[in-house]
Amino acid sequence: MNLGDKKIKKENKYTLNLKRFVGLSFFVLLIALFNLQVVRGDYFLRRARNNYMRAVLLPSLRGSIYDRNGTPLAEDKAAFNIAVIPYQVSKDRDFLFEEIAQYLELDKRVLHLNYRRNLKFFFSPTNIVTDIDKQVALELKRRYPESVLINPTPKRNYPLGLEFAHLLGYVKKASFLQDYSKKYGYTPRERIGVYGLEQYYDSYLKGQDGGDLLEVDARGNAVGFLGRKKPTRGKDIYLTIDNQIQKIARESLARKKGTIIFFDSNSGEVLAMYSSPSFDPNSFIEGRGVGKIYADRDSPLINRATQSTYPLGSVIKPIIALAGLEEEEIDSKTTFDCKGVFSLGRSDFRCSRIHGLQDLTAALGNSCNVYFYQLGLRLGVEKISRWAKKFGLDSKTKIDLPYQRQGVIPNPEWKRERFNQSWYAGDTVNLSIGQGYTQVTPLAIALAINAIAIEGYLVEPTLLKRIEDRQARPISKKNIKVDKANIAAVKEGMRYAVTQGTGTARALGNLGLDLAGKTGTAQTSKDPHGWFIGFFPYQKPQYTIAVFLENGGSGSEAVRTAHHFLSEIKKQNLLQLK
Amino acid sequence: MNLIKKIINNYAGLKTILLSVLLFNLISAVSLYSSLHRQGQFFGGEILSRQLTWIALSWAIFLIFSFINYRLYRNLAFVLYGFGLLLIGIVYLTGYEAMGAQRWISIGGLNLQPSEVSKITIIILMAYFFSQSPKNNFFLDFFLPFSFVGLYVFTIVNQPDLGSAIMIALIAFFMGLFSKIKKKYFLGALILVLVLSPLSWNLLKDYQRARLTAFVNPNVDPLGSGYTIIQSKIAVGSGQIFGRGFLSGTQNQFNFLPERHTDFMFTVIAEEWGFLGSLVLLFIFWLVIKKILDKTKKIRDPFAYQVVLGIGIYFFLHIFINIGMALGILPVVGLPLVFISYGGSHLICSFILLGIFFNITSNYR
Repeated sequence: MNLGDKKIKKENKYTLNLKRFVGLSFFVLLIALFNLQVVRGDYFLRRARNNYMRAVLLPSLRGSIYDRNGTPLAEDKAAFNIAVIPYQVSKDRDFLFEEIAQYLELDKRVLHLNYRRNLKFFFSPTNIVTDIDKQVALELKRRYPESVLINPTPKRNYPLGLEFAHLLGYVKKASFLQDYSKKYGYTPRERIGVYGLEQYYDSYLKGQDGGDLLEVDARGNAVGFLGRKKPTRGKDIYLTIDNQIQKIARESLARKKGTIIFFDSNSGEVLAMYSSPSFDPNSFIEGRGVGKIYADRDSPLINRATQSTYPLGSVIKPIIALAGLEEEEIDSKTTFDCKGVFSLGRSDFRCSRIHGLQDLTAALGNSCNVYFYQLGLRLGVEKISRWAKKFGLDSKTKIDLPYQRQGVIPNPEWKRERFNQSWYAGDTVNLSIGQGYTQVTPLAIALAINAIAIEGYLVEPTLLKRIEDRQARPISKKNIKVDKANIAAVKEGMRYAVTQGTGTARALGNLGLDLAGKTGTAQTSKDPHGWFIGFFPYQKPQYTIAVFLENGGSGSEAVRTAHHFLSEIKKQNLLQLK
Repeated sequence: MNLIKKIINNYAGLKTILLSVLLFNLISAVSLYSSLHRQGQFFGGEILSRQLTWIALSWAIFLIFSFINYRLYRNLAFVLYGFGLLLIGIVYLTGYEAMGAQRWISIGGLNLQPSEVSKITIIILMAYFFSQSPKNNFFLDFFLPFSFVGLYVFTIVNQPDLGSAIMIALIAFFMGLFSKIKKKYFLGALILVLVLSPLSWNLLKDYQRARLTAFVNPNVDPLGSGYTIIQSKIAVGSGQIFGRGFLSGTQNQFNFLPERHTDFMFTVIAEEWGFLGSLVLLFIFWLVIKKILDKTKKIRDPFAYQVVLGIGIYFFLHIFINIGMALGILPVVGLPLVFISYGGSHLICSFILLGIFFNITSNYR
């Protein structure tokens, strides 16, 4: 018995050890339980909700964009996507994807890649193929009614893509633009205009996405309806652009690099603004050929009317002439003698020919450089640059497009800051014929010349006619206070250029449009740029046209383009001349 | 007459355990009722009534076993072991398959899982071995008893029923660990297991391997093998402190949780009753094990002592592993939560063990 007692005491040690072990193990369970339910409870509750509550996006339609006649330029179409519920296909996914890939003649890896990229929740539809033909989508649904869903989403479409690319821009999913979604609260699936009018009027065009909140079970079946928020459609906008005139602008430029801007002289309503070369904005929607667009050395993404600046050449002369008259350095009768060359110090500045004695009208009409060299020197750089600024040559215009570039009108201060060099008289000479450091956007110079046409008013250009039924805005123009007689003198010179001058604009005289204008050939390190800016009828202008050809040879080339453009719109009866 | 009186007195002495088990029955029925809902619809009337039948039957079996003199088992230890082996053999010959595994034999319409019986017979056989005075011989003290275990484990793994096989090995292992056998033998055995485990990896079925990898990292295959672990953790965690309420656990009600009325019953309870409810259940489980182990103080018979220890270990391991897997800290193996999960075999097995325990304690008051 003694022995037995001893044994039992020893055995009780085992019980005690076991009890300790059990106690410790239960403590471990307690800690794990505490961790899951108390420490991380909120997280898991959220995940549980994500499991059984599914928000089904009801995407809003983006507003359409029309031209002034109601021709659709940008609109939403349905894109058909094929989606699966991850949990439902977890077992036979490989097999299913292989079959679908075979049917669509795709690589099945594409499907797997899309699946992985789009997978968010096990129980919500995940796109595996996007934007396929409607009939193909229906056929897939017929073949695999249990496994696949057709998930239609709106897709932006630009029926006249190439013609309107720079004006319309395009849209991107917000998920591609992390800044936007963070800063402005876009959801990743929403589309944002990233260029052109799509960007400028994004807040009007974009609607409000809606959605259904559903209760679903593990098979993805909706078993309860919790609520709906209706999507609201974005607003339609109507442009001032006339689709047909825009088309003619494109044809007139054909393969040339450059831009044509055509607008209502008094209201600033832009009827055509085409920049060449262009690109197809649908490429960005489809994600096809984008690399090629970026790689193109002719920079098709640049809107040459507003996003790039160029030396002006002789198209600056009407501004210089007006400055000379306003500052009373000359009057319309003042003459300068042109001997074909003008010497300043050791430098010779040339003219296109020997013009002899030139007054203002003749100098503008014949585009005599020597006249303007001497006028420029009389005026001095400060006055020239002040007048150029008055005409807005170095500011961004008020046009409703993003990413405008600002022009440069040099003065001594600017030159010192930029190059740390002093200003020479030769610089003034260059400035007075729009060469040297002068850099201006085609739209800005077009508006400046137009200010002369309509007797001293800088109009604010616009592309927007109305939003739904709301008129865009009243015409807005800024008065540059100038003497009407001075304006008349300059206009006469510009009319002379088209009717009798030895300049290149004479070819436009036969159009019967009572045109006045100014050509320009701006020297560059490569081929010169060609310019023509004009308006008609010159007595009471209604339309203004600017043609710019990048490295296009000369002003006469620009005149030929303008001639083609104007004769076409006249022929097609697209002008409403009073 | 004296014997009966003794046993009845013993019942009174063990009323904490009896009341706890009754409470388990209640919790089991309530949770089963909840887990048999889908979106507010109760669909498992048949299953629930079958389980209630099992509970009644188990109590009867408990009563019977509490009257059988435990000393009988010592004499029949090898016979019982052989009987267990025979049942496993019958499964091989006639057993029907469910969910890819042959685990059940059908007796009069009731399906029994012989691996549960093996758990009882291994406790008895191990108690027989470990209650002997140690011979300080690795072969006799260690290798011999564990070869019997090995035979069970091998046959059951091949059913395949990894959960039961592991459980049988663990019960035997723990019984040996808390006995007089030299600890260095276990160390040796542990090293042997570690060396052999790469080999045994190849013997596992694909789905068993997948479960083990899923345990290490459930996100490798969140919709496949890792699915259950992830969904169980979500369910448990979303219960938070006070639970989502009876019949309101969305993981349960919307069918996100597989096998919830069998192996993952704890998850259902934790989701609906929260940390507080789970805590109460954990506490009662711990209390029952403690009360069982407390009773060893008075036991004079080394065999009986080892049996009671084995019973304590049996409950402890089932509870720890089952809850551990529901919480994602242990790999998913098919094991019921004792007294709570749906199923007759484990319930009867638990009640048989309880009956044996009651008989032993009535002898040592």
